[in-house]
Amino acid sequence: MRRILFLILVLFIISFLTFIIFLKLPATDPARLVAGRVSSPEILAEIRQNLGLDKPWYIQYGRFAKGLVPWPGFFLNEQVYFSYGNNVPVKGELYRRLPVTIALTLGAAVLWVIIGLPIGIVSAIRRRTLADRAGMLFALFGVSAPVFWLGYVLLFIFWFKLKWAPSPGLDVGESLGQAMFAGKFILPWLTLSLLFAAFYARMVRGNLIETMSEDYIRTARAKGLSERRVIFKHGLRAALTPVVTMFGMDIGYLLGGAIITETIFDLDGIGKYTIASIRDQDFPVVMAVTIFAALFIVAANLVVDVVYAFLDPRVRYT
Amino acid sequence: MIRRYLRLVALVGVLAVLAAGCAQEAEEQPQPGGDIKAGGVIKMGISADVDNAFDPAKEYSQLAWSIFNCCLLRTLLQYNGLDADEGGSEVQPDLATDLPEVSDDGLTYTFTIKDGVTFAPPFEDVEITSADFVRAIERETCSVCHEGGYAFYYTDNSNGDSLIEGIQEFAAGDADSISGVQTPDDKTLVITLTEPAGDFPLRMAMPAMAPIPEGAAEGHDKDYGRFLVASGPYMFEGSDQLDFSVPAKQQKPVAGYDPGRSWLLEQNPSWNADTDDLRSAYLDGVEVQINESSDVNFNKWEAGEIDYVYDGVVPADLLQQYATDPELKEQLKVNATDGLRYLSMNIAEPPFDDVHVRKAMNFVIDKDGLRRTRGGELYGPTAGHIIPDTILGGVLEGYDPYPSEGGQGDVEAAKAEMMQSKYDTNQDGICDAPECKKVSLIADREVPYAEQNALIADNAAQIGIDFRVGEGDRYTFMYDKCLDPSAHAAFCPSVGWFKDYGDAFTFGPPILGSVAIGPEGCCNYSLVGASPEQLADAGYKVTDVPSLDQTFAECATIPLGDDRNNCWAEADRTAMEEIVPFVPWIFDNEVRLAGPRIVNYTYSSNQGTMALQHVALAGGGA
Repeated sequence: MRRILFLILVLFIISFLTFIIFLKLPATDPARLVAGRVSSPEILAEIRQNLGLDKPWYIQYGRFAKGLVPWPGFFLNEQVYFSYGNNVPVKGELYRRLPVTIALTLGAAVLWVIIGLPIGIVSAIRRRTLADRAGMLFALFGVSAPVFWLGYVLLFIFWFKLKWAPSPGLDVGESLGQAMFAGKFILPWLTLSLLFAAFYARMVRGNLIETMSEDYIRTARAKGLSERRVIFKHGLRAALTPVVTMFGMDIGYLLGGAIITETIFDLDGIGKYTIASIRDQDFPVVMAVTIFAALFIVAANLVVDVVYAFLDPRVRYT
Repeated sequence: MIRRYLRLVALVGVLAVLAAGCAQEAEEQPQPGGDIKAGGVIKMGISADVDNAFDPAKEYSQLAWSIFNCCLLRTLLQYNGLDADEGGSEVQPDLATDLPEVSDDGLTYTFTIKDGVTFAPPFEDVEITSADFVRAIERETCSVCHEGGYAFYYTDNSNGDSLIEGIQEFAAGDADSISGVQTPDDKTLVITLTEPAGDFPLRMAMPAMAPIPEGAAEGHDKDYGRFLVASGPYMFEGSDQLDFSVPAKQQKPVAGYDPGRSWLLEQNPSWNADTDDLRSAYLDGVEVQINESSDVNFNKWEAGEIDYVYDGVVPADLLQQYATDPELKEQLKVNATDGLRYLSMNIAEPPFDDVHVRKAMNFVIDKDGLRRTRGGELYGPTAGHIIPDTILGGVLEGYDPYPSEGGQGDVEAAKAEMMQSKYDTNQDGICDAPECKKVSLIADREVPYAEQNALIADNAAQIGIDFRVGEGDRYTFMYDKCLDPSAHAAFCPSVGWFKDYGDAFTFGPPILGSVAIGPEGCCNYSLVGASPEQLADAGYKVTDVPSLDQTFAECATIPLGDDRNNCWAEADRTAMEEIVPFVPWIFDNEVRLAGPRIVNYTYSSNQGTMALQHVALAGGGA
């Protein structure tokens, strides 16, 4: 309970800072953005009144904060949370885009686990062999190749030159399932997973090497357990505990929007929505996506803490 | 195109290392120039959605208006969707049986509405009547309904009072109806103005004036565009599923418009070609995908995935390829947009408070050089005056009071002009007063403006003007400074203007009228017409600057036709020869590439875009 209250406090602080940064310290008056080319003082006054921007700051913040309460009728209510640009309610847009981000994140997560963990394990148990060096070369490439570079390279080669991959973005009228079936997510998954797979490989390798030199591993071996059992039953369990923490946080972070990958591959997820809203200084959308992303991260944090307790018997929460 | 990707990849790679037809079935329709087969869905790409989710009262952009005019909405008057030399700039009856009857005093317009025209589903049984236009006009009085739009064309006269009689009283809630809008019967609409506005018929051709059926816009002050009831040959897909019988909050928006992602238009089954002389509607539908960037759009175009890129600038390598290859040249489409790009001088700020300096700048600027930064001659002819020739009916064609060979600038003529300036103390043609040093130039930092700024600075240096260039983001830096008189921006070169409709009224007051001065006006950067109070408040030493307000007001009252064009042409001459606030340098062309499937490519002079109401697909898109 204490942790949940703490998380609520974190969300409150984030929402308040977002409010201050985007609404009270904006580069441009939101009313002028809405007014467009013709913004006489009268029109601006009307717009400020319509948007509630003529109210004291704490009332303005209160309206937005109320929309963050997870309760029907409150949460992202359409009276406050709508795009200043096109008046489209934010909630519907977020829910519409969330499946795309989830598909991208989970698909990439599966890939980076499948790629990263085995490489890390093999590198750790076959230290200084060709396999170890190849694995670490892959990891070095992975962490050195930024997503924005790798994405364009893959698109250029596999879509533009070889025409093996479909064009970026979902086709008009195409459902998420159809897009996945058509292979629209393969390059985004590869792009997003490479960096994480590289990190995970290095992390698993380092943790496993360290764990395998622990006393209890020597004891396990002395008791006559097979090397396989020593590694997978005793070594990996301890080595992977921090990886689980990292995995949970990464998933939470990416569910808040894989901004660069979604942008490069033209995927209408939360990340692309975030970028567009920041570019347009569309405050209600910025507020909503920021809180949405923060919510995923703190929720992932909570889940990781719980899972951690199961994985590591030394950890217990009261 | 490939090179563009390679360049990008190479650049990013280095950074990485460093950083680690009508509703009917397809049929043959003989047309001039060959048979055109109706049918098929044209696929287009754009890089940004419309601004206001297709609400006709709010949308104030070329792209949205194009879709409204070609496809979704009919108005009392409209254009034929052709180029200017085919009458594309002349307004014609659309839902009206004829052009309006105008009273002798120019104040009363009477429109007669065609019989038998109905709305798109779900209002397919509702015939369009005069009350539907009243509803549209009344929406212009609701501030939430028209935020960001252009209601001022109907609500404000030259004094800021009601243009349509009683419209401001209605907006203020002081009247139950607009006294200047009367419906003697279902087929007659009478509009009375408080002062003559010769271009009023053109204003009635704008999308906000499209009819709205009873019950459609209620509860949709903010978002009518997503519940839009069409009257044109097309409608958003799924329009027939709109359910206006339930409260507005429970209604689901139309499926064919997915904000930020796509527009899908299908044929409106209610549309009857017999009632519409202005649209061919060969296509079965229109599919517009909103992609991440112009690069993605042009890559998809090259890959044959889309037929047309509706916005953005054609990449230089692609343009070169299509401009020089005789087999591909047919696909390159170049048309005049009725737009002007110009360099704006602040006539209250030294050294541009001296008309001779401003004239010298007009002589010395290499307009052809500036044009090359945009892509060369394809992008339009160099400009010698302000209002595009097509808008003035060619009255000022060829007029340029500051000519130079090839538009490349005439340094000697510039020096001769500079000699007459008080800022050239020794009269050697070089500005040598301290006011000519560190002159503030405020500009956009994006391509191609940065290159233009360097060229302008080089040109001006030949007559002794030393610019201090300030470059930044267009919206958070350039407009803030150029629009704010107190910022004392002397020279704003990254600006342009495009018509709202085909009349010079949309070229005069918005860029040279006192009403457009300041951050809340937009877009008079030169301060022509600024009052002594405005000048004093902004800290200028100059106490008086010339004004064109009176001239504009006079021209605005003249009915459409030669007299009106001559009046505006005279205003343009006055501006160019006596006031000289600008260096106009190019009348912009639109340069596009049409995919091989597109046939009967037609350019709408009014819309400034390809006319979807007339284009077709080869073989009916089969």
